[in-house]
Amino acid sequence: MNRTLLLGAAAALALGGWTAAAQAADPIKIGVDTPLSGTYTPIGQQVRWGLELAAKEINAAGGIAGRQVELVFEDSEANPSVAVQKAEKLYQVDNVDFLTGTVNSGATLAVGQVADRNKKLLATSVSFADSITGAKCSPNVFRVNAKAGQQSAALAVWLKQQKADAKVFYLGPDYEMGRSTVAAFKEAAEGVGAKTAGEVFAPLDTKDYTQYFGQIRQARPDVIYTSVAGNDTVRLFTQMQDFGLLDNVQVVGASGTVTSQNIKAIGSAANGYVTGVGYSPLIDTPANKTFVKAFNAAYKTDPDLYGADSYGLLFAYKKAVEAAGSTDTDAVRKALEGLSWDTPQGKKTIRAGDHQAVTDMYVVQVKDGKFVVADSIEGDKAIGPDACTRF
Amino acid sequence: MADLVSYLQFVLAPQVVNGLALGMAVVLVALGLTIIFGLLDVINMSHGEFYAVGAFIALALGWLGLSFWLLLFLVPLLMIPFGVLTERLLIRRVYDGPDRHVTTLLLTFGLSLIIEELLSIVFGPNTQRPATPLRGAVELAGVYMPVYRLFLIGIGVVVILAVAWIVYRTRLGAMVRAAAYDRDMAGSLGVPVSLVYSGTFAFGLMLAGLAGVLLAPIYSVFPTMGRDFILIAFTVVIVGGMGSIWGAVVAGLALTQVQALAALVISPVWTDPIVFGVMVLCLMFRPQGLFGRLGHA
Amino acid sequence: MPERPARSFPGRPVADRLSLSMRASHLLVVLLVVAGLALAALGSALGDTFYLRLATEALIYAGLALSVDILLGYTGLLSLGQALYFGIGAYVSALTLMAVPSFWLALLAASGATLVAALIGGVIANRVRGVYFALITFGLAQVVAKVVYNTRELGASDGMIGVPVVEVPLGPFHVSTGSAPGFLLVALALLVLLYAVSAYLLDTPFGRVLIALKANERRVAFLGYSTWRARMAAYVLAALVAGLSGALYPMLRGFVSPELLYFQVSGNAVITVVVGGVGTLVGPIYGAILLTVLKSVIGSWTEHQLIVIGVLFMASVLFLPQGLIGLLRPRLARWLGRAEPPPAKAAEAEARP
Repeated sequence: MNRTLLLGAAAALALGGWTAAAQAADPIKIGVDTPLSGTYTPIGQQVRWGLELAAKEINAAGGIAGRQVELVFEDSEANPSVAVQKAEKLYQVDNVDFLTGTVNSGATLAVGQVADRNKKLLATSVSFADSITGAKCSPNVFRVNAKAGQQSAALAVWLKQQKADAKVFYLGPDYEMGRSTVAAFKEAAEGVGAKTAGEVFAPLDTKDYTQYFGQIRQARPDVIYTSVAGNDTVRLFTQMQDFGLLDNVQVVGASGTVTSQNIKAIGSAANGYVTGVGYSPLIDTPANKTFVKAFNAAYKTDPDLYGADSYGLLFAYKKAVEAAGSTDTDAVRKALEGLSWDTPQGKKTIRAGDHQAVTDMYVVQVKDGKFVVADSIEGDKAIGPDACTRF
Repeated sequence: MADLVSYLQFVLAPQVVNGLALGMAVVLVALGLTIIFGLLDVINMSHGEFYAVGAFIALALGWLGLSFWLLLFLVPLLMIPFGVLTERLLIRRVYDGPDRHVTTLLLTFGLSLIIEELLSIVFGPNTQRPATPLRGAVELAGVYMPVYRLFLIGIGVVVILAVAWIVYRTRLGAMVRAAAYDRDMAGSLGVPVSLVYSGTFAFGLMLAGLAGVLLAPIYSVFPTMGRDFILIAFTVVIVGGMGSIWGAVVAGLALTQVQALAALVISPVWTDPIVFGVMVLCLMFRPQGLFGRLGHA
Repeated sequence: MPERPARSFPGRPVADRLSLSMRASHLLVVLLVVAGLALAALGSALGDTFYLRLATEALIYAGLALSVDILLGYTGLLSLGQALYFGIGAYVSALTLMAVPSFWLALLAASGATLVAALIGGVIANRVRGVYFALITFGLAQVVAKVVYNTRELGASDGMIGVPVVEVPLGPFHVSTGSAPGFLLVALALLVLLYAVSAYLLDTPFGRVLIALKANERRVAFLGYSTWRARMAAYVLAALVAGLSGALYPMLRGFVSPELLYFQVSGNAVITVVVGGVGTLVGPIYGAILLTVLKSVIGSWTEHQLIVIGVLFMASVLFLPQGLIGLLRPRLARWLGRAEPPPAKAAEAEARP
């Protein structure tokens, strides 16, 4: 009896609700819910470095609206269940108003829901599943990096210029992300006249890709598109090289396929690889040169797209908070919508309709372990239609 | 007709040959596992992680300039202390306790967590890869094969024969088999059982380390690489019969062929369930495995 | 293989020893309920939600650990794939809630699906023992996790978000799954119920058959008991406990993802049971709470928490056959034994035949 009474009382209290504790004067705390252990550790490291560098620079220049920036890190272990728990901690215990750092799209979507329920904001600088700012968009979720669709569009433009009627073979990792990136690029490539020579989907963590090489050889493609990532790329590329599949074939793929984390292990097998991406450390602008130099000085390595997009994000937040005059969710959301700001890779604009950043896209090619910029496409031409209907 | 020839030549034949190389890799990893299981009755859950340790040692020593051919002998030797320590400090403590199967499995599972994390601290999370020691490829009737994979198949055969010779034909192997059959009896007949146990565990890890050196150039090196072969290696041990060298060889080669050929007709994602299905069927109809248990057959 | 608690009390009749230890377990559960009520009240007063929801998650994983302990502690079978049933419960509950936002329907659907899955899985897994059982359960969970990971209708690798907050009708009262203290008490109530039912069943002749089976399987078969049926019953019971615990997960977190079925989850449950105390039923519950706290504390200063947990786990295997609870429970049992005849306790009343 006592227990039921208490149960009712507790529930009534909770439903009555309390508003979040009064906001502290300073500093401004930003939550970073990113994988510091597990499969995606290397990406989390770049995210961390990009944000830390930006915070250092912003703080040295007087902070955001006079308040210092403080980053609060939590390890999401690349597991949505853990990411969600850590997000609740950041929002409720650390009282951050703004969260970033989520990497895998499952975690971004799940943490986005936590942001909704806590009436706080989330911005990802890594996840590229179209659904995040498309079918599963949320008023409290922003994305400052290029989504899969933008990458495909840029790559397709390049393909048209280089090999207009190429025969393309598609090799994707067999999971949702892999299938949707292949489908997106296939549509874009066929749109510019490419023919499909065949497609195969390999399970995640495939050890040996040789079992698919027969099909590829038989199809005799001019171009191989792939969207595998991480360790899988190392295996796929080096095994293709061992089996002579890279001779006379142009390999293209997703931006996450060859990155600064795995390019060393891939070695010469990565040479010639082309991808559409929102960033390369070799972008020849004064802003980027300064950024790359500072990043190298601090972390002894080049930034990659994750590091650069995370770095840029903090400046968007700074501009939005200063325009809004507070860190209040509604005010910052409003300021972020339509916001244009400068990043190492040029001006980015957040589209108000779906919270997706419009950013100039680059076609980069790997030459001797470096991402050389081969072409660039204006942001408007790569962004595609606004598919978000939730707000 | 031309299509069929082209299919046989470009798809089926390479698939079988590539499957053979992968099969040899699986057998190399499974050999150590099955020997430890067969003799000590211990499922070494950290076997995959010791395979990773071997690969990382090879990688690090490669940086120091040691040649691959030297590492092929050196790394297995360096695995011996790991094996002896693990057996003496962990396995032996619980060996005679209740639920030996479960406690040793739990211990080695805990060990696998720690090793994986240590590798990540020492070597960082990124993938690395030693250079392929043998470059180039040969082409025969359209079947394209890198020299290193041919070498892998060849050395696999040598290792298998050597292990089989040691286990089945030497005095040492006879002691091992005797201890596996009846420990007390073997002990009373003068077999140094304690030494045989440590030695066998170390021998299993030597094979894991050797697999690490051999496979690193093909499958690359990263802290979680030990999980790669776990399911299939266990399946091979169960299907082949615990401790049976020939069982592991036959099951390893056959299962990878099943996988390779199945991948041609169904989505590759389903090849794992097929392997698992074989394991279940085997346990249902021939629980002792194809070749029975070491020392009991 | 001797029944482990027996070692603590040499020279006493078996039944007596067992029920004394179980009574000590019940007492510890009562303590947990008191602590849970206090935490809910304190949390409400302070306006906390994070810690209450973290505690709720610990209780949900405690249910999974309880499930592993039913198998490991009472039949000696180690499941390395109990996340399979946890995940099935979670996914079915999420799917039900998204179609019909009813708490009870979700629990019903989750237990129905778990039951079916457990019957199939049980037929496969119960053909074998020992390490083979461990490997079969491991493989079974791996395969299903892979299938879920690749099934678009289940959200594939991204999982499914958008599980609604629902009302939990409890007689005259309503608790929202969105209310942190309210849902903590719901999870606590379910866990205590699962514990009580398990403890009751394991104390009936059925449970005694299991314990006897663990000690000497052949003899039990000679006595005319169906060993297969007893094992199967334990397997299904364990699966249901895992499935019902899993069913609460999407209510708490609002989403499901294939990671819930991964070996990591199964492995964590095994660690929890071993650290907490195998075969004690209450040990795994405290183990889950301890590990959640530990991860939260260690996790804030190092991302290499697995080493600490791995060492703790191995130390438990080597030195604490009854886990951490084994340090406490025998004393409690001795104390209860001295206070004979024992006063009837609320929690144990239901657990006695």
